[in-house]
Amino acid sequence: MSAKVFHESSELHVTGKAIYVDDINSPSNTLFGYVVTSKIAHGKLCSFDLSNAQKVAGVAAILSWKDIPGHNQMGAIADDETVLVQNEILFIGQALFLIAATTEQAALQAASLIKTEVETLEPVITLSDSIQKGWKLNETVVMQRGNALNAFKTCAHVIEASAESGAQEHWYLETQAALAIPGENREIKVFSSTQHPSETQSKIAEVLSIGKNQVTVETRRLGGAFGGKETQANMVAAWAALLANSTQKPVKIRLFRDDDQRMTGKRHPFLTHYKVGFNAEGKILAYQVSFNANAGYSSDLSMAILARARTHAENAYYIPDILIESTAWRTNLPSNTAFRGFGAPQGIYAIEDAIERIAVFLKKDAAEIRHLNFYTKTQNTTPYGELVENNHLETIWEKLVKSSNYYNRKEAVDSFNKVHTYEKRGIAFTPVKFGISFNTPHLNQAGALVNIYTDGTVLVNQGGIEMGQGLYTKIQQIVAFELGLPIEKVLVNATITSTIPNTSATAASSGTDLNGMAAKNATDQIKERIAAFLNKHWKISDTKNSIQISELVFSNEKITHSKKTELTISFTEVINLLYTNRISLSAQGYYSTPNLYFNKETQQGRPFHYYVFGMAVSEVELDLLTGRHKILRTDILHDSGNSINPNIDIGQIEGAFMQGVGWCTTEEIKWDVKGNMLNHSPDTYKIPGIRDIPQQFNVNLLENAPNPNTIHQSKATGEPPFIHALSVLFALKYAIASIKNHSIYPDLDIPATNEKMVLCIQKLKD
Amino acid sequence: MSITRNYIEFLFGTKLERITWDSQQTLVPTTTVLQYLRGLSNFKGTKEGCAEGDCGACTVVLAVIGKNGKLEYKAVNSCLVFLPQIHGMQLLTIEHLSDKNSVLHPVQKAMVEMDASQCGFCTPGFVMSLFALYKSCSQPTDETILDTFAGNLCRCTGYQSIIKAARHALDEITPDSFKLNEKATIQLLQTIEKGNACFATANQAYYVPETLASALSVKNTFPKIQLISGATDIALKVTKKKETLPAILDLSGIEALKTVHETHQGYDIGSGVSLQTIKIELSTEYPALGKVLSVFGSKQIRQVATLGGNVGSASPIGDLIPLLMAYRAVVIVKSLAQERSIPIFEFIKGYHQIDLSEDELIVSIHIPKPNPNRIIDSEKISKRTDLDISTVSAAMEIELTSDKIITSIHLYFGGMAAVAARAIKTCEFLTGKKWEAATLEAAGSYLEKDFAPISDARAKAEGRMALAKNLLIKFWQNNSE
Repeated sequence: MSAKVFHESSELHVTGKAIYVDDINSPSNTLFGYVVTSKIAHGKLCSFDLSNAQKVAGVAAILSWKDIPGHNQMGAIADDETVLVQNEILFIGQALFLIAATTEQAALQAASLIKTEVETLEPVITLSDSIQKGWKLNETVVMQRGNALNAFKTCAHVIEASAESGAQEHWYLETQAALAIPGENREIKVFSSTQHPSETQSKIAEVLSIGKNQVTVETRRLGGAFGGKETQANMVAAWAALLANSTQKPVKIRLFRDDDQRMTGKRHPFLTHYKVGFNAEGKILAYQVSFNANAGYSSDLSMAILARARTHAENAYYIPDILIESTAWRTNLPSNTAFRGFGAPQGIYAIEDAIERIAVFLKKDAAEIRHLNFYTKTQNTTPYGELVENNHLETIWEKLVKSSNYYNRKEAVDSFNKVHTYEKRGIAFTPVKFGISFNTPHLNQAGALVNIYTDGTVLVNQGGIEMGQGLYTKIQQIVAFELGLPIEKVLVNATITSTIPNTSATAASSGTDLNGMAAKNATDQIKERIAAFLNKHWKISDTKNSIQISELVFSNEKITHSKKTELTISFTEVINLLYTNRISLSAQGYYSTPNLYFNKETQQGRPFHYYVFGMAVSEVELDLLTGRHKILRTDILHDSGNSINPNIDIGQIEGAFMQGVGWCTTEEIKWDVKGNMLNHSPDTYKIPGIRDIPQQFNVNLLENAPNPNTIHQSKATGEPPFIHALSVLFALKYAIASIKNHSIYPDLDIPATNEKMVLCIQKLKD
Repeated sequence: MSITRNYIEFLFGTKLERITWDSQQTLVPTTTVLQYLRGLSNFKGTKEGCAEGDCGACTVVLAVIGKNGKLEYKAVNSCLVFLPQIHGMQLLTIEHLSDKNSVLHPVQKAMVEMDASQCGFCTPGFVMSLFALYKSCSQPTDETILDTFAGNLCRCTGYQSIIKAARHALDEITPDSFKLNEKATIQLLQTIEKGNACFATANQAYYVPETLASALSVKNTFPKIQLISGATDIALKVTKKKETLPAILDLSGIEALKTVHETHQGYDIGSGVSLQTIKIELSTEYPALGKVLSVFGSKQIRQVATLGGNVGSASPIGDLIPLLMAYRAVVIVKSLAQERSIPIFEFIKGYHQIDLSEDELIVSIHIPKPNPNRIIDSEKISKRTDLDISTVSAAMEIELTSDKIITSIHLYFGGMAAVAARAIKTCEFLTGKKWEAATLEAAGSYLEKDFAPISDARAKAEGRMALAKNLLIKFWQNNSE
């Protein structure tokens, strides 16, 4: 796999020919689907009158909860969401009614004519209000090793502090969309922008009260997702399906940008309290951390997200005595959901903040404190009992300290700050250790279908979703490599529930790990059949000499015996011979990650197949007066195992880093006391732009780091590099702390907007 | 006005396209180019990301015959352009870039080779922005590249690969099919007739006068008519608020409003001059203006948005207004009966309120030549540097003695009140004081007497005040030499 392979859709992307849900040329009788939502955050829907709205010309259907044939229930894990409000209203943007009309204008006019009577109740919007009111979503979960509370007593130093982080909107460029087309006998086909077609299928079947076998969900590609379409696409698809079922016409719903931002969940805001005990060198001896997450109105994936926060609470550090608690809190906001990192960024932020405080307290270099506490060959057990194996932390540290010239640059930063009054520089070095696998063991399974046709072309379907991360490209590469074909001979096309059933979401960075292995399992089956056939074809009767699959070399569209190179046959020929000998050229592959277990009671086990390691160094310059800042340079060294596609992996790292920079700096969401989201459009919600990237941006993959027991010894890449952005946050804080010669740790949380930095600087100076 | 034309014509790629507003027409005149494209079955490459000009996914390129007789290519947000506004132009979308044999345009090829797409949804917009740059620039710098893409958001790549693709594509600019077809394109464009136009449907009348006199006569007849020029603000009423605008007077067809005149006293800038033109033509003479325009919206916005529109909207956070006040700009308005010149400080009367009678139009803005004895400076603070509306903006005009005593100072702030306003008490305090950091630090407390800003989606009142105070020091820092 040495030659550079481009994203399989790149030519379609640059020519505008890549088709997303809204681009599908649907039948001309397709109706426009519109969702009427709540304008209050908490209350009761007492009564409603649709009669005037129904009279609008062009309106085909207006549905309320009464019109749902099946269950009015949408929760991904807990049954605590409604498709359409039946009684209780729980957030602004919650769906009340659905409209299908021939035009957008008719739908909007009808929406304006719906009369409702609602009773308004006091909403709970902030995490602190929810905590005060005791609106716990679930009981607090505790994970621990040793006895942190006792250990603090013997620590030379103990620091207590809080770390807060805000909501983050996914801002996928393609808003949520679904096109539902009714079929015969109540069957339905739905094109959905979902990360989880099987769950979307499931929810549609439930709300329509039909069998899953009657629902087909198809997804070719997403215009970005980042976790935002893992559960939250289900609603949109179910709404479209309900309208299509009711009108017996195709219905398309595509959320307007503002509606998407108002209606869908975000990254969970966290309010974290921690206590850290350490010795004079900076070795952390005890850590107590309590995570509080703003879940929004329902469970969604909040408990799983907190599980990942817990299992990443110690990041790359061995901490002997540790006590981790986590609680999700309900509020009258959209249900917060999966977002790249899935709780790990918030979990890691707290321990990294603790280390920065230790460094200020001990007047030491924060990077040195980090290095001192890394997991090692002997101190290698996580708080949940899993061993940190194939640990690359020390290697990455050594290489990156050198390649980034960290120590010299830190000195230069300090010199710069001595002679500048209004501009300050900062530098920070942060690591990540990230566990790969769904925290819930049973989700770690996947399927793939490989069909070989008699012209020698190959079609692959698998359960994963292409959302830009290059999954289809990697699957194509894996199958082409396994069969010894040029990639042009292998086509990966749309993910469809009828082809690959009962799949897991494409999430947890695991798309290629799981689906790639499933695809390989399918090609292995076919290769076994080829080997068996060639034994006959090459008349190898002696069973001792019979060809094993491992002895066949699939390369250059030929199959050759590795020891007897005279035994060779072209791929197309053997495929045709298999066909005429009535041997199947299709195989359903399957994979489940081995050796995963986790005891929810004891919070101990082996939830992860392996860990990804990486580190980043960022240097920033901050204008103290305006809060304007630039990232002068970022160096990232990241472990992708034996990368299947280095250019795709580097793209993932760069993109994840910048998404993290947005979370840490410009992306801020505020709500008013009534629960109205103030930053509901890109006018006031600011993701990073092109000028926000590091002026010098060096991203490298760790070399010679094959990962045992994964597809082609690779590692997942999607989420872990998001954490590298913390280096920017801490560099900014270092710049600010220089005002007081690093004697005070600045009070500044995520997101560190220019406004918040200026206020923080003002406070430090006063 | 005498109205002859009820249709628009444009070159759609190489094909002459006509849309007539007769009784059969189902498109309303305020249909945006994006809505038009999305309604066609073979032009789904142009994407809607936000419908408010804040993401660039819908970027298309408009080509017009420039002053030198050659084609000029402009990337614009198709979500903010109404169909009548492309009359007489060539509309190029992502579908037009690769040739009939599907050979990629060099900009497309570079995007592929540099791994510059991931999910691909923003990609057509980036490609079109890059294409416009490819067609209009011979020696692009990194700064030009960043400026070109400041109006395009990508959530996947982290942009580095896109910058690499741009450098790669622009490394060697070769004549493409558009260059080869330029003569034919120009000939076709020249066949399109100009002239006053009106497009009427059951709920909407859309006037496009060709002369100022015609425009004034329409305004005289329909005093409440919605004025547009670039429409980058008003288009949001259609795309976001879903309003039907009953009557529109589109001034973008009036060439007389698009001129920049130099006089002894200063420059008369037509109200229809685009902000990008001002950035290019006047940044040297008015550096503070250049500074604001370099962080004003995006290139896609600036190429369409006009000075008259920015002044006329009288937004409290309009980026240019505080600075125009510092420049002592004068707004020239006209009706059929008379012409008036109003200092901009008086022209802006309140929150979105201006001194413009119902029969008047803004025809130009006069900016006096900078007085060499005075320093004029401007600052804008926004959450993100590019394509963001200001949280706080400020402009200053100051005169110092040779020993740095402030003899006169005018400070104007945006984002601190319902209207861009002068910091009167602060200026009083500063007059006669020495121009040094300590003075400006001390002046901060006077801003609290001048302003009581609000908290909103962009910032808290407290944050706005802190930023405004810092801008006083920033002005000193910028001009302390």
